[in-house]
Amino acid sequence: MEVHSSDSKSFRSVYEQVFPVVMRVAYHITYNMDVSEDICQEAFIRFYEKGIDFQSVDEAKYWLIRVVKNMSINVIKRKAREDATVERLKKAPSLPILNGEQALIGDETRAMVRSAVERLPEKLKSVLVLKEYADLNYKQIAGILRISESNVKVRVHRARKIMESMLDREEMHVS
Amino acid sequence: MCLDDQILNTYLDGELGEPWKTQVIEHLNYCVACNTRLEQLKRLRETLLSSALTQQEIQPHQEKVLSFIEKNIIEKKHINIFRKTFRVSMPMVMATAAAFVVILTGVLLFTRPDGLPTGQIIPNVAIPSAGSVVQVRATENLSAAKLLENFTLEEILQYLSSRGYEVEVKVKEIQPVVHQTDQNEIGSEKPAEEPTVEQ
Ligand SMILES: [Zn+2]
Repeated sequence: MEVHSSDSKSFRSVYEQVFPVVMRVAYHITYNMDVSEDICQEAFIRFYEKGIDFQSVDEAKYWLIRVVKNMSINVIKRKAREDATVERLKKAPSLPILNGEQALIGDETRAMVRSAVERLPEKLKSVLVLKEYADLNYKQIAGILRISESNVKVRVHRARKIMESMLDREEMHVS
Repeated sequence: MCLDDQILNTYLDGELGEPWKTQVIEHLNYCVACNTRLEQLKRLRETLLSSALTQQEIQPHQEKVLSFIEKNIIEKKHINIFRKTFRVSMPMVMATAAAFVVILTGVLLFTRPDGLPTGQIIPNVAIPSAGSVVQVRATENLSAAKLLENFTLEEILQYLSSRGYEVEVKVKEIQPVVHQTDQNEIGSEKPAEEPTVEQ
């Protein structure tokens, strides 16, 4: 099925299918629901306003995932810079970033996974999040990130290796 | 020879091609060590998957964003073709936001290309014009600086005013030439490149 992003019927159909995926991508990079909602909203507005023709819903999905992933990475980079700036200027006391977040972390596993994902290097994080939370295969991830499939394979492996060692360490702390 | 993690992960993801796949299956038929390792890798994946945002958690946001877009983007499009969307990202820390915007305003003042006297480029703060949509973002996300550059000083003042900021623009010192040092200082905290394309 061809998709024209400014056609309100296609828009709704893509939205219905893709929103949960991009929301997960944004959330598992930023770990902030409000920020993720903002990012997704912005991405879908761009999607609608640009009036792009896609050959299939999947192609539209890849476009949206790429946009959301990039925005999410920019937000966390910027957040880090902003924290540094705020710290430097001592203009405002640094507030906890994650308002509205506590409610979501009901259990320890989630908190551990989150802190491990947050510490992953950016490139591994992108690949891991797309693999596990957007449910994409190596080829799809390669297309979205514009890297080779074998690169995806290696990064998935490295990300899991780091995750495993971080989670083991966390578990030892907890118990 | 036993299987390494890379192979096992690829196998686990269902991405291992032939003839390796058959070889892996044959090996797993008798090797306890590799089966144990495969189980561990599986459990790691399950742990990650179990922490995923659920559909239930997503649903309210999905509805909220859709209704926002329908009201403000899709329906508006037909009504007013001159509609000008004025979206400015606001930082999570409001205090920082104000400081940030004021700093940028300074940049606009100093770098205005046509060299008008300052008096003429500070407009009265007007009521928001009917055609513009003012939307507050909960977060300073995308490229606020880039966005801000696309707006006139008047629009920025209008926006701040509409958000309840009392804006006072003071020019302490104005020199005909661009303030090189000020610029650089501000440049150092310039945010947001274009979304990165991964190599
Ligand atoms: Zn073995």
